Amino acid sequence: MNRFITFVLLGKFMKTLGFIFKEIRHRKTNFLFSLLTVAAAVALFISFFTAGKASQRETARLTLSMGFNVHIVSKDININDFLLTGLTDRTMPEQYLEKLASQQAISYNHLLASLQKKIPWRGFEVILTGLSGEICPSDSKKSPISYQIQPGNLYVGYRVAQTLGLKDGDTVEIKGKVLRIAKCLSESGGADDIRIQCHLRDAQDILKLPGQISEIRAVDCLCFAPTDDPAEVLRKEIGSLLPQTQVFHTQSIGLARAKTRQMVRNLFAVIMPLVVIACGVWIGVLAIMNVRDRQQEIGIMLALGYSSGQITSLFLGKAVVIGLLGAAIGFLAGTALAMIFGPEIFKITAKTMIKPEPSLLVISLIFAPLFAAVSSFIPAMIAVTYDPAITLREE
Amino acid sequence: MVVLDNVEKTYRTRSGIVRALRDINLHIEKGRFIVICGPSGSGKTTLLMVIAAMLRPTRGTVCVEQNDLYKMSIRDRARFRAGNIGFIFQMFHLIPYLNVIENVTFAGGVVGESKNTAKARDLLKQLGLTERVFHKPAQLSAGEKQRVAIARAMFNRPKIILADEPTGNLDPENAASVIGYLSEFHRGRGTVILATHQLQAQKFADRVIHLCDGSIDKHS
Repeated sequence: MNRFITFVLLGKFMKTLGFIFKEIRHRKTNFLFSLLTVAAAVALFISFFTAGKASQRETARLTLSMGFNVHIVSKDININDFLLTGLTDRTMPEQYLEKLASQQAISYNHLLASLQKKIPWRGFEVILTGLSGEICPSDSKKSPISYQIQPGNLYVGYRVAQTLGLKDGDTVEIKGKVLRIAKCLSESGGADDIRIQCHLRDAQDILKLPGQISEIRAVDCLCFAPTDDPAEVLRKEIGSLLPQTQVFHTQSIGLARAKTRQMVRNLFAVIMPLVVIACGVWIGVLAIMNVRDRQQEIGIMLALGYSSGQITSLFLGKAVVIGLLGAAIGFLAGTALAMIFGPEIFKITAKTMIKPEPSLLVISLIFAPLFAAVSSFIPAMIAVTYDPAITLREE
Repeated sequence: MVVLDNVEKTYRTRSGIVRALRDINLHIEKGRFIVICGPSGSGKTTLLMVIAAMLRPTRGTVCVEQNDLYKMSIRDRARFRAGNIGFIFQMFHLIPYLNVIENVTFAGGVVGESKNTAKARDLLKQLGLTERVFHKPAQLSAGEKQRVAIARAMFNRPKIILADEPTGNLDPENAASVIGYLSEFHRGRGTVILATHQLQAQKFADRVIHLCDGSIDKHS
């Protein structure tokens, strides 16, 4: 019995589908316009989504280059000097870094310990900076934003290299420690031009401060609620863990970073619904035109005893067919657009971030037919409420 | 048998209320050939639509084969219409994307007869359309289109055929042929209700009803 019912229902479905395809073949222009609309909507969604992810990542990478915005220093430093020079006159134990990194509850993205001091070198006053390896939360795959200097290597600031005539590959001695110049840095226009940077161990040896660091730098994780003050949150989190330290939060960098990312997110949040609504309205208009074209056909169907449900199924069925085909075409077109134009726009992250996303095809195949059916619903309702007495006597 | 009792149909328009049918009382016996005459706008089509269970009257009752049409549910009314009433229109109203045989069998969709192509071929043969079975409406002449419409109207073996100006777009030869087919249906004990301007159709009629301004003017 169940098989019989299934057979009958399948037969009706195939018959309805048959009518839909015959009508599509007959009114190709309307079909093509509707298909193009859905395909364009899906293509825009796919390309925006695919490129949007790259854009957000790109923005994150670009704003990250603004540098660290959280500085954790010893509680006993001279604050005025630190704010004036960016250097501390007190050190703190290097273990603080590991202690901080081992905590899950701290809202940070990158942690870096440094030891730095102004020293005279070859008749020139330089800032010697030792950098530890950068630490990121264990669940993240973030790339380091600072130099990863190997022990025995030295990065020399632009002015220092220019003044002392240093070049890559030279070997130099700093207070008895021999180091190889791995890189002479390009001009920064800031304190980095008079900085020489080496591994933390080397700096500790040179300055004879084993196991000591000047500061821990960090980038806050931007996971705060809009009502949070990041500085206060970090001070509370870090203060309870490392009571012998104090936290400085460079608000301008944090704000600029947060606002830039937020702006990109907002842009997509506004554009995507607008695109979807515009496409929905356009599909609806095309469906209404289709209904107007088919008024007499609807009238004769009603006259022949076809129910409103059967007539509605023809219109909604057509919308679903258009939605499915539009989703497939739109996915291919959108992915192609993102892959062709994305690398031109997002030069840093495009190679790793812009790639076909099969999950988006599944989403499109589910939502595009649904979206097309919803857009065609009102025209379909209009179709079945036409007065056949009027439409059938029209010449 | 068709019985209309005090039927009235009014439309609301921007310029006011239009009374399309006024106090129509009509009793049509089974197997009659009725011609409804009257000028344009006299209410002929409205009357046919009311009899066809497609247009609810503002007032009054309509019974066909002892069924009060407008007391039925929409679904039952649609099924009743499909099984008992055939339509022929001036503009043919064939479905443009279906071929001739599909247009004919389309009428059987509601009563489960849509796969009975043998019956459709038989009808088309009787109407001289054997060579046109797989043609689309756009490939047919006006006379051929109307014959397809007649085949479609007859496909479910209806008890009544309602024809609204079926010869209005045809040359005299095709018009005569259409009236001839209707007459043949009538001879087979079918009821025909034909709305027309053409006087020549009246010679086949058992009865001619004149409509004027929505009222029955004169019976003959």
